Parts: sequence; C-alpha cells; structure tokens
Amino acid sequence: MGKHLRYIYMLAFIVVAYILLPVMNADYLYTIQDNNVFISGHTFMMDTVQHGGGWGTWISCYLTQFFYYPWLGSTFLILLWVAIYWITIWMLGLSNKWSFLALIIPVLLLYHLLDFGYWIYYAKAPGFPFVPTIGVIFCLLFVWGGVSITRKWNVDFRLKGLFIIGVLAVIIVINDWLCPSTPWHFNYGPRGSIKTTLFDKNFRHELRMYRALEEFRFDDALKEMPKGDEGAPTNLMVLYKNIALMHTGQMDKMFETGNCGIKPDTGDSLKIRTSLLGGPLIYYMFGQMNYSYRWAMENAVQYGLSFRNLKMMTLTAIFNHEFEVAAKYIALLKSTTFYRDWAFEHEAWMMNSTRFIQSKDYQTLAPMLNDSKNTLDGDDGLCQQFLLEYYSDLDHATSPLVEDVMMCMSLWAKDYYAFCVHFYDYTNNHPNEAAPKLYQEGAILLGTTEESPITLEGYRFDDLVADKFNSFVSDYNQLQHQGVDEDEMGRRLRPRYGDTYWWYYYFYNDFNIY
Amino acid sequence: MKLKNIISILTLAAAIVACDHPTVPSDAQQESRLPHIYPDYTEVTIPFNICPLNFAVQEGADEVVAKFTYEGGEHTYGKKQKVMIDEKEWQDMLKAAKGKSIQVDVYAKVEGTWKAYKPFNIYVAEDSIDPYISYRVIQPSYVAYERLSINQRNLTNFEEREIYNNMSVSTESTGQCINCHSYKNYKTDNMLFHMRQGFGGTMIVADGKLNKVDLKTDQTISAGVYPAWHPTKQLIAFSTNKTGQSFHTKDLNKIEVQDTQSDLILYDVEKNEVSIISQMDNELEVFPTWSPDGKKLYFCSAHFEYQNDSIAKETEMIQRYTEVKYNLYSLDFDPETKKFSNLDTVYNAAAVDSIGKSVTLPRVSPDGRYILFAQAEFGCFHVWHADADIYMMDLKTKEVKPLDAINSPRSESYPSWSSNGRWIMVDTRRDDGNYTRPYIAYFDKKGKAHKAFIVPQEDPNFYTFFLRSFNRPEFMVEPVTIEAQEFARKAKEDPVKAKFAE
Repeated sequence: MGKHLRYIYMLAFIVVAYILLPVMNADYLYTIQDNNVFISGHTFMMDTVQHGGGWGTWISCYLTQFFYYPWLGSTFLILLWVAIYWITIWMLGLSNKWSFLALIIPVLLLYHLLDFGYWIYYAKAPGFPFVPTIGVIFCLLFVWGGVSITRKWNVDFRLKGLFIIGVLAVIIVINDWLCPSTPWHFNYGPRGSIKTTLFDKNFRHELRMYRALEEFRFDDALKEMPKGDEGAPTNLMVLYKNIALMHTGQMDKMFETGNCGIKPDTGDSLKIRTSLLGGPLIYYMFGQMNYSYRWAMENAVQYGLSFRNLKMMTLTAIFNHEFEVAAKYIALLKSTTFYRDWAFEHEAWMMNSTRFIQSKDYQTLAPMLNDSKNTLDGDDGLCQQFLLEYYSDLDHATSPLVEDVMMCMSLWAKDYYAFCVHFYDYTNNHPNEAAPKLYQEGAILLGTTEESPITLEGYRFDDLVADKFNSFVSDYNQLQHQGVDEDEMGRRLRPRYGDTYWWYYYFYNDFNIY
Repeated sequence: MKLKNIISILTLAAAIVACDHPTVPSDAQQESRLPHIYPDYTEVTIPFNICPLNFAVQEGADEVVAKFTYEGGEHTYGKKQKVMIDEKEWQDMLKAAKGKSIQVDVYAKVEGTWKAYKPFNIYVAEDSIDPYISYRVIQPSYVAYERLSINQRNLTNFEEREIYNNMSVSTESTGQCINCHSYKNYKTDNMLFHMRQGFGGTMIVADGKLNKVDLKTDQTISAGVYPAWHPTKQLIAFSTNKTGQSFHTKDLNKIEVQDTQSDLILYDVEKNEVSIISQMDNELEVFPTWSPDGKKLYFCSAHFEYQNDSIAKETEMIQRYTEVKYNLYSLDFDPETKKFSNLDTVYNAAAVDSIGKSVTLPRVSPDGRYILFAQAEFGCFHVWHADADIYMMDLKTKEVKPLDAINSPRSESYPSWSSNGRWIMVDTRRDDGNYTRPYIAYFDKKGKAHKAFIVPQEDPNFYTFFLRSFNRPEFMVEPVTIEAQEFARKAKEDPVKAKFAE
C-alpha cells in the first residue's frame, strides 16, 4: 500500500477535480470559455504576445477554448496539474509518504479556478483558467532545469540558487523588453467567490438561463426559476424569465411566475451590471439591435474580446443588414475551433435571405423589429431600466407582441400613467375580447385611481378579478386598521395574493436595478 | 555540423525563399473583368517611396500569381491567395516606373482551372509622400475605453511603433483616455496630445522639451480639445468643449456626439498662457486650423439657441440634434500682436440646399489654395455619420465640390494634407461601416483627386482581422523620437497649470 500512496493521492485528486469541475460546474466552465477567445492566425497571436507574459497567455487562451466541452477542457487542465504533481515530487525528491505535499499547488490551482464566481465576467486576463498553471509549469521546469545543470558544479548551494534566480530575473527583464506593452492587470489572489461558484444556486441558474435563451430554448429557461420556497430569484433571472415568457406568448404571466428579483450579494469589491452579464443578449431578444451591438462592443473593449461578444456582434450586424462588418466577425469565428460551424451557418444567412427569414432568430424576433421609431437616448448602463422606460413610453404598438410588451413593461415599472394609456388603446384594439387577467388586475388597480388619465366606467372586469380585488382591498384595509406594518402586511397577504399585480405593486419595493 | 555550415544553409534557404517567383500559367482562361482583390489597389496612383502594396485575391482560388510589368522588367509573386511583394524588388520597380505605371496581371487557379483577369495599372507619381503618419489606435467603442495608443507608421516600409500607450501609466479606475495628437508643420519637435481622466493633462513637446500642462482655467469651458499649432509661432489654437454622447435605437449611425458648449482659445506655449479667441453667444465654435502663412485661423461654428429653460441643455441638444449645422469661418490673425480680427463667413453650409449641411475638420492645403473639410447633414462628429463626405473649397474661386474620387457611400472624415500638398489622407469607414481606416489619395497639380487606397500592411488580411480603428491620421516628415517610456514618466507627473491672460 505504502509504495502506491503517490498514485492513490493522484487518483483521489483527479476524482475530486473531475467532480468539482465538469460534473458540478459544467455551465461555469462553458461560460468561462464563452467569455474567452482564441483565433488562429498571425494577427491574434501578435496582439496577444506583445504583452508581458504574452506567450503564456496565448497558450492559455488556446487551451481555455476546450471548455466548450467542459470535460475536455477539464481533462487538459487536470493533466497539467498531474504533471505539476509529478514534477514537484521528482524535483523535491518526495517520498511516498510525503508525496501528498506535491498536491498543494494543484489544489491551490483548482481553488483558484473555482474562486471566480461572478468574476468570470470581469476577469480581464485572457485565458485565466490556464495562465497560473502554465506559469507554474514554466517556473518548475526552469528551476528543475537549473538544479540539473548546476548539480555538478562544485560551489555552495546558495550560489547555485542565486544563479537560478538571476537567470530567471534576466528572462523576465528580456521578456518585458521584448513585450513593451504592459501585462494584463489582474489580481490572481483569492477573491472569496468560491462560495458563489459552488453554492449560489441563482448564479448557476443565471448561467443556464443565458445559454437557454441564446439557443432559443425558452421552456428550459423557464424551468430554471425557483419554485415555492427555493428562495428569491435575482433581478437578472426575472428579466431572463420574462424574455422567455415574452417569446412564448405568456408575458401576461410575469407576476404569477415570480417577478420580485433581488440583487446578488457579491461583496463590496464587485459591482455587478446586467449590461455585462447579459446586456447584449437581452437587448437582442427585444430586437434592440443597436443597443445589443453597443454592449457587445463595450464589453469587448473593457473586458476583452470573447466568443460571446463576437457572436452577438455578428447577429446584430446581420439583423441591421451591415453585412460587411458581420462578414468580418464571421471571418474571425471561422478561424476558431468550436465556433466555425456557427460562423458558416450564419454566413449562409447573409448569402441567402430565405434562410435568414426562416431562421429561429428571425422568426422569433421579427414581431419586435416592426417598431421602426428611432430614439436618441442612452441607458446609463442599466439595460433593464432602459427597457422598462422605452416600452412604457412607446406610444404605438406595431405588433401584438409589442403591444403586450408595452402593457407589461409599464406594469413592471409601476408607471400607472403609461399603463392606463396603453390599456385604453388595448381595449379599443380588442373591443370584443376580454383582456388577460394581468391587464385587468392592473386596470382595476390603476385605472380607478384619481390620477388615472382614463376612465374605466363601463369596462366590465371578470368577476374573478373584481371579487379578488375587492377581497384584497378589504384584507389590506383590515390589516392597516390593525396597525400592521407594511413588511408584515406583505408577508401575511403573500400566500393569497402573491401572484397578483396588486401584491407586487404594494409590497415589492426592493427595485434594485443593477 | 559546424555552426558556419548551418548559417550558410539557412542563408541559402532564405535567399531561395526570397527569390521564389512563381511561373505565369500558360493555359489560363481569359476573364473580361478585373480581379477581386483586397485591398483594392486597382488603378490607384501611389507615391514612389511607399512600401509594397501586398494584396489578397478574393476569387476563392487555391493559388494565385500576379505579374508586375514595368518599363525595364517584370516580377511575379503569389503565395496561396496572397500576393506578397519583395520589398527590394518593389523599390526597384517604383524607381523604374516613377511618372509612369506598373501593369498588374492577376491569375487565379479556381477549382483546378487557371483564370487570367483583366490587367490593371498602378500609377507611380513623381511626387513623394511624407515618410511617416501617426494615428490613434482605438476600438470603435461608444463610451468604454481600455487599451489605447498613439502609433507612428513608416510608410516607406511596414514598421510601426507606439508613441504612447495609455496602459503604461494607469488602468481601471485611474485609466486614461488619450486623443488629439498634433504637430507643428509636420515636424515632431513641436507636438502634443491629450490625456483625460487618470493623470490627465496635455503633453506638449516644445522645441524638443516635454511638458505636461493643464489648460483648464476658471474662465474656460474645459481644457484644450481640438488643437492646431500655429505654423511659425509657439502658439496653439484649441477648442474648448462640453461634449456628450447619446445613442440611436435604430439609426445605423448609432451614436451622436454633441457639444452643448464650445469656444476657441489660444495657448501661448512660451508664456504658458491661455486667452480667448472666440466666445460668442449661441455659437458653438470648434475645429480651429491655421492657414499655412499663419495669418488666418479657420474654424467651424454652429449657431444654436437654446429655447427651453425647463430642460437641461444636454436634453434639448439631443431633442434637436438634426438642427445643429456648422459653418466655416475665418479670423485674421496678426502673429506679432497675437490679435484676431475680421470674422468672415467662408462657407455657409447651413444654407446649402433646403435642409442645410454641416462642415467639420477643415484643413488648408500647404500652398494655401484649397481647404478640405468633412461635410454631412448635421452635427460635428462625422466619423459616425454615414453621409459624411470630403469636400474641397477652392479659396480663390470659393467653389465647393465633393471629392468623388475619395468619397464612398460610408463615412469619410478627418482629411489632412501631406507636407507637399500632393497627397490627401482621410479616415473612412468604407470597408465595413464600423472600423475607421486611413486611406490616401493623390492630388495632382491640376487640383484633381485620384482614387484613394488604404495604407498598405504587410499582411493583406490585416484589416480584416484587426478590430481597432485608426483615428486622426496625420502626416509627419519625421518620426517622434521621444520614447514611449519618457512620455509615460512625464505623464505620471502633476501638470503645470496654465494661466489665463485677460
């Protein structure tokens, strides 16, 4: 048993690493590669290697792309960690008994990879999952080589050590001289985000919802919403969920399916922004191609070019009929390992308009594209806020879907004035139809207020809605009469009215848009 | 094997590779059209001192051959889909073809069959071009910026180096934006560029000495923005601007960059003093530029009266953005007294057609005869306006005409003249609508502009894969010799505050 200990340690580490990486965190790894980029060819290589440590980064970017298949990327990474383990054993001459010490570095590297959480969107160091591993291997091999060369030298071991360190210093200086651009500034120290990666369910839901929306798997996106007492979703999840509802014709179910999002607690050092986490895709789903392109570009500028941004820039350029610039991004994606087919598929959209019109993207987004009104505006980095205001303020619906979005956004934004106007138009556009329950809930609450710009006299609400509203008003007044504070009132009324717009209107005040 | 032998073999191999001239196919089918090549160098006029015009043949070919025929010889090149010209041979060709032309025959092997395309000419002018240009390399982003540099490029070969790189000084929350490099008379011993935000200030090289100054005074709107060195004096005209950006939801122009306020100031480099040139009510003065004799200052200005006190100026400007039209004006200048006088409307662009036009970025030719500018329907930031084109006014006849040979359906902006006035460089988004590229066009003695060509790169596909724009391309007769590290050291120092001269 004793003589096999080093193999047992190694196998144990491999098993744990596989469990923690592709088994438990496949979406995390996939998202990391999606936010990374590697393009074959001279231009990308030269652009990367001109930074200090650029060659290591270039190799790391190459390897990171294999997380497209999380098990494959993990295998490469784990193999490198195993190599570190063995080199350390050989270098230090560790016995079987003490060989577990050689796992310290691989374990720290594993910890490092899992310690990103939301930082995966903010990490400015391209290829960051592999960079420290490549760096450690380089240093170990260097020291190993140095020890081997100086072994026969008949000088004090301290002099040998000084010689090795000196040569390493010279290499670093030469590297800086050859690569005048500054290295990527990135803190490789602990971020305290491993808890988010391993235990924050919302973080994982967000990763999966993004991918589901990107692939137009709206039902899968909806399945990610927490059920019952699983806790509150994040604001971003609510936004993703409502997009899925929008494109499955169920937007009027937005308050029944949980519309009270929270802001994830990411500590003080990280200010998370929806515009970075999913802005380009969110705007794309609303047919806002200019803003989608803008955020893909802004994110690429600030946090580095990525497959994700390149894909979004391609899609929006095609929708905007900016074919030359789309062709440029497609040319880049054709030079990648895993997005090559995607590039050819989308090139075909440009070559053949029928294919484009028949595509899932166009079929889904076409109703949102009819809104041809150009607005000169800005979102201040708050895409949810922008969308709420934009659709609340629209004065003319160009498709039934846009009409629904205008109604729902004004309710979501608690913009009673806009909602009342939209509801008035809605009843005129659909004279012989009963409005969906949500719109009736909004109208019975907002249309009867003194500030309402419209009168709803003569409008016949469904009995169920009217009765429940009367009951809500009665319960509310009763609790208020008893002197129950707002929070407690919300808690008590939630079981019965939590799926209504009224509960949202009165008791959801934590509208923390980020 | 001895080292000497290895070196000999490598040298021989290198020589063989260098002289690797493919054979022209004898059985090629003749095509009646020009080949599709990128960059498009067909029928262009080039200076006799420019680097090779390498290009890629976009015919879906497996192999290509290009035969360059000139008086006294011919050369063939072809490497897969690319035509990569030997630099030494190219220089010989240019020398022999000066004042004449080089004929290029392109052959492409498409699906196993060689095709011969209609030959085209490259005309070699007898006029040289300034050996250097400089530009800011920047992503065509909207608000965000990260890695920016001002680079200089040697046009006679492919050498490029950074003059200054913003990340060598600061990043993240203290990151800085750099912009508006400018030279006095095409020379680099008097030059400047700005840094904003982190370690902000204006870097001014005066007679070779580097300084960092803060041009913002209590009496001016901002620090200096768009600069223009006086051709003979140590004086710099700047605009001062309060600038904002907003974003189109549908319009493919995507961005409007607008000034809600702007004026003109004069900076005396020797006295470190700022004074007002123009600060008119309801006028947005911007883009100063000097006549070559230094006795006139041209600039653009839009008349804009705010009408609604109940909303912010920025909001009103956004609401009325299409109403902002810049005209071209001039002021006489006495270099001795440093006094400006006689405001003159040089070109009333706002009165052109029924809707009016807007003129920006004027530049006077070195002989003082012509003035180039970018013109579009409205606004001041034409790099984002697809309708923006380069126009030229003959200052003798006052005739204004578009330079059709240079313009494209997409944005053209930032025109500049070479020091001999025979070459015009513009920034254009003609390639893809989003990434700005520097194009050069010959301007002959008769006042005619010729077809523009992109600044050549060693790899013909460079521009396809390079995701950054080239801003403010400027000609220089010599390179900037101050090292990037020296600029970085000075950038970290506190700026010297400029004084305001009443």
